[in-house]
Amino acid sequence: MSEWQPRILAILCNWCSYAGADLAGVSRIQYPPNIRVVRVPCSGRVDPLFILKSLQAGFDGVLVSGCHPGDCHYISGNYVARRRFAILKPLLEFVGIEPDRVQFSWISAGEGERFATVVTKVVEDVRKLGPSKRIVKKA
Amino acid sequence: MNVTAKLRETIRELFSADKVDVFLAWEEGSLPMSSTPLFITDGAQADRAIFDPRCGNNLSVYFTKDSRQFRGKRVGIAVKGCDARSLVLNIQENQVLRDMVVIVGVPCNGVIDGKKIRRRTGGKQVTEVMENGDSVTLKGPEFSITLDRSEVLSSSCLRCVHPDATEYDVFLGEARAEVGNENRRKALDEVEALSSAQRWERTRKEYEKCIRCYACRNVCPSCYCSECFVDQNDPQWIGGTCDVTDTVIFHLIRNLHVAGRCVECGACARACPMDIDLLLLNLKTAEEIKKRFGDTAGIRIDGRPVMAEFREDEKQEFIMG
Amino acid sequence: MYRLDKGRFDEFIRLLGREYRTYAPVRTAGRTGFAIVDSAGMIDTDVLVTDMSPKEIFFPPSETLFRYGRNGIKTDEVPERPIAVWGIRSCDVRSLSMLDRVFGSAVQMPEDDRFKDPYWNHRYGSSLLFGSACIDPSPTCFCNWFGGGPFNKDGMDVFTVDAGEYYLLEPVSGKGQEFIGGLACLAPAGESELDLVSAIAAEAASRMPEEEDLKEAGRKLSDIFDEPVWSELSAKCVNCGACTFCCPTCHCFDIQDESQGSEGRRVRIWDSCMFPIFTREASGHNPRALSKERVRQRIMHKYSYSLENYGEFLCTGCGRCVLVCPVNLDIRDVLRRLLHYRAEGKCNG
Repeated sequence: MSEWQPRILAILCNWCSYAGADLAGVSRIQYPPNIRVVRVPCSGRVDPLFILKSLQAGFDGVLVSGCHPGDCHYISGNYVARRRFAILKPLLEFVGIEPDRVQFSWISAGEGERFATVVTKVVEDVRKLGPSKRIVKKA
Repeated sequence: MNVTAKLRETIRELFSADKVDVFLAWEEGSLPMSSTPLFITDGAQADRAIFDPRCGNNLSVYFTKDSRQFRGKRVGIAVKGCDARSLVLNIQENQVLRDMVVIVGVPCNGVIDGKKIRRRTGGKQVTEVMENGDSVTLKGPEFSITLDRSEVLSSSCLRCVHPDATEYDVFLGEARAEVGNENRRKALDEVEALSSAQRWERTRKEYEKCIRCYACRNVCPSCYCSECFVDQNDPQWIGGTCDVTDTVIFHLIRNLHVAGRCVECGACARACPMDIDLLLLNLKTAEEIKKRFGDTAGIRIDGRPVMAEFREDEKQEFIMG
Repeated sequence: MYRLDKGRFDEFIRLLGREYRTYAPVRTAGRTGFAIVDSAGMIDTDVLVTDMSPKEIFFPPSETLFRYGRNGIKTDEVPERPIAVWGIRSCDVRSLSMLDRVFGSAVQMPEDDRFKDPYWNHRYGSSLLFGSACIDPSPTCFCNWFGGGPFNKDGMDVFTVDAGEYYLLEPVSGKGQEFIGGLACLAPAGESELDLVSAIAAEAASRMPEEEDLKEAGRKLSDIFDEPVWSELSAKCVNCGACTFCCPTCHCFDIQDESQGSEGRRVRIWDSCMFPIFTREASGHNPRALSKERVRQRIMHKYSYSLENYGEFLCTGCGRCVLVCPVNLDIRDVLRRLLHYRAEGKCNG
């Protein structure tokens, strides 16, 4: 009987975090295999609906990662995304969705090591929370 | 002269000076304690207009609904503080041209929520409602109840900080500036004192009631997408059922779509046939936006909706280090 | 007529609960609707017209039709005990009979079972309805426009009257007679009790509004289909679905598949002619793109098309839409305006 493994959706910006994940891979840096990756053109593309829909479909956690402030391929996509995430997180907490299930980070294409650290941290945080139950659709 | 008389006078003047083609106001409704939107096209109809605590409808909604019936017309509109903020937001977002509207502000002390009256009387026949200072007396054939005004006021009014218009051409009285209101923090504290699990339990109970009639969306002047995200079906992002996860996601996303654009007029909560406290989420988001970005929706006519803006040096403590 | 003392009401409800899943008006946080009860204490006996109509018992806002997966199709298990409803008003009972013409045994084409809805039939077909007389009709009641009345018994199995200290129960159908016939908690009603009922009935009838002449409604409405009056009337409608969802006779629905991986379910959810997407076609064209067209559809469906299809109105005058409309677009005013349109309007002829 294997122990429960969290399933995490990682929504990654094509220009930085996705390449960061790639770098972690080619550099053979170990990180937990609990993430499934969706590539988006920019963190500004991430609609909060994507995050909620993932939780509803049964993901135990969601990580959204984009370019560091100032580095956006489209100049300002990550700034707009940041405002969005800034109000999404307290709102989720307010309605009783555990805040650690939804996390944000900035990871550049050169930060393979950092990608591994972030993923490890997210997986550990979600593991502590246990399987997601609240907003999962069980109809 | 009371506000209704002043309003009628103003409407007559606007028509006789040929300043407007249509004027949006309220008239006596068909039920005790109700009013209904009135579209005046001729100064002679001015005497049908009223303004008193029954006039809850936010008339700005008629600028943005899909029929866009007033496009190209010079429109006069009577506004409470919240309605004016809606209009300002619509102007900021280029849905309404400022020089095509004549904004007539009315002094507002809060509007009555007809649903709250029905709850208090158990749905019994109310034939007469009398206001006397801070109390309201409801009378029916076999009963008479006197309540504190706060028990029948719309919950948005109980949490209001801008009772009067901040943008207007005419104001029928003395427009008040921002006022303090402890009820806002109190409403949030009540939830924030709960544990995460208790909060979810509360959310679940509240949003389980939703029947997806979309009255909240349709009465909202800030909700005017030509195709709402719940109506998109290729791909379909959100389930149409009354399963609580579907209803919670609908309301959370709607909340985020009106984040920084919700003027807290309370139209959604008054329209909800299931009595969901829809405003609470909006209040939370509005407070968060005020705290972080120092902005309140619909106040500055030269401003831009806050979620379309950014500053490079914003606090980002929620981003993983 | 039988007499049920209120002291024995709880006993009665528990007896009913042995054979039936019993629904009755319940008040939760001020809001009223029908829910399953197992004791008399749970029932709100004061409420006249519940906020949500009992339509939701028989035709839920969303229901799973079946589930599918690699192993084929299966339907959810259905509860065996039939449904009983206590405290349902005449307008709502009549609306269920109307819906039965759409979904159930009353579907025209009696020889063909394909058009009968098994989900509806399972619930409604074996139900036992304890209709409740309206002692104190509300100002939004207008059932008398449609041949109803506060003491109308159409479609009920048992008719009940709240007479203060006790209920009077009158079996209306054979099924109703069968259930209450042998109950020990009931006593035969006497002469004086029957007199009391007539007195209450007369008082209730006197509270009803003046009747509107709807004899020619179907034709009158079709005649003015293209008149500008529809634009005027619909100008303030914001096209929400509150009226249709609270309506006891509105029954439009959408069917959607919810799939995840190789599993899924087909669900039926309430839909509303007020929504633009209700008629939008795959090409993008929408035959009812304007608010005016959608409002007209709702009115025509209720008061004109239904006459052609079923020979009766798709409205029982419960008044819920009057109460919930966020802009107070009162359907009684709308109807009056439309029916008198020719007479007073410029198209008089």
